[in-house]
Amino acid sequence: MKVIRKAKENLFILLIAAAYIAMFIINQNMGIASIKNSFYYIKEMIMIMPVIFVLTALLDLWVPKEKIMKYLGKEAKVKGVVLSLALGSISAGPIYAAFPLCVMLHKKGASVRNLVIILSAWAVIKVPMLLNELKFLGFEFMAIRWVLTVIAIVVFSWITAKIVKDDDLPQLKANQSGPSINKSACMGCSLCTKNYPELFEIQNKKASLKEISEEIDQEKLMKAVNSCPVKAISISADEN
Amino acid sequence: MDVLTLAMWIGTAIFLIFSFAKDKGKTKQALKMAFGMGKGMLGSILSIIFLIGLILTVFPPENIAEFVGKQSVLLATVIAAAFGAITLIPAFIAFPLVGTLVHAGVGIVPSVAFLTTLTMVGIVTFPLEKREFGLKFTAVRNGLSFLFAIIIALVMGVIV
Repeated sequence: MKVIRKAKENLFILLIAAAYIAMFIINQNMGIASIKNSFYYIKEMIMIMPVIFVLTALLDLWVPKEKIMKYLGKEAKVKGVVLSLALGSISAGPIYAAFPLCVMLHKKGASVRNLVIILSAWAVIKVPMLLNELKFLGFEFMAIRWVLTVIAIVVFSWITAKIVKDDDLPQLKANQSGPSINKSACMGCSLCTKNYPELFEIQNKKASLKEISEEIDQEKLMKAVNSCPVKAISISADEN
Repeated sequence: MDVLTLAMWIGTAIFLIFSFAKDKGKTKQALKMAFGMGKGMLGSILSIIFLIGLILTVFPPENIAEFVGKQSVLLATVIAAAFGAITLIPAFIAFPLVGTLVHAGVGIVPSVAFLTTLTMVGIVTFPLEKREFGLKFTAVRNGLSFLFAIIIALVMGVIV
């Protein structure tokens, strides 16, 4: 899986390089124009990307996620909806980074409706992204799209909960003992390797476990688990 | 640098200073996380940007606008939504791209549909989502997101 993904990534880059070479052979002016076009977006990216990543990381750090998660059960109606929207909007990472977090929340009693809200808000309602949208598409565009999107999420999460029941979600299988890493969620931010370098390492841009002979330091392990922005590290003792 | 970008830099800097004053260790961790996220994504972002540069040269935004303008709004919107569902473009590249297209004359309605499905519907991430939540949940969530993306777009067409 990892090898295939890496090959695919490189294949994409290689294909684009080949397309550029072909372009320069066929029509040099169009090749130059393509690079000029690309540089416009690279310039925009360099100006905005550092801010967006830092802002996302800071929000992720300072908003108390654990407190929000406590109120996501089935009883919490309006409160659950609002908190799910909030949780999705302040979190870091792409939508697939939300999958393991949502599975964990479901295990702890969060409703199907709240899961849909978290996933959708995670995808579209991001504070740093709204600022970016404001810059390129204007205030009116951003504000109206935001309001409509929130309404849509509230409505279709309700419909989803009518169709999909708790039993439709797969039950969790028992894990092997010790910590494990959900590689599809890991963003390769390398925080775990900084908190517990003896146990974690980065391989192919993803965290992985080292073979260690000595006893696992529970305190350091917990620090690494809690620091993970996408909750990709799980411990089997905690599962039961 | 325009005013808004500047304001974002300043706002983030102030936030960062406050954060440092309150908890140095945690802030350092957040910065490391931001750096790690950026580094991990840089390769794929750059290749997507160069692909966009190539496509916009072969199909200039004005031609795309002209082509989209000839179609019926509903058809253009559904096609734009489908494009958004199958492509994986990071949102902060998607906004300047859609900005370019809207300024060249592409309608608001297909643009909004594209932006919304781009982030909410994931054909590429479908197998991943199915493994975690089951087929029914994944199919219903993605299906409804696609449908509502089109509704949001059409309503925006009426308001804006």
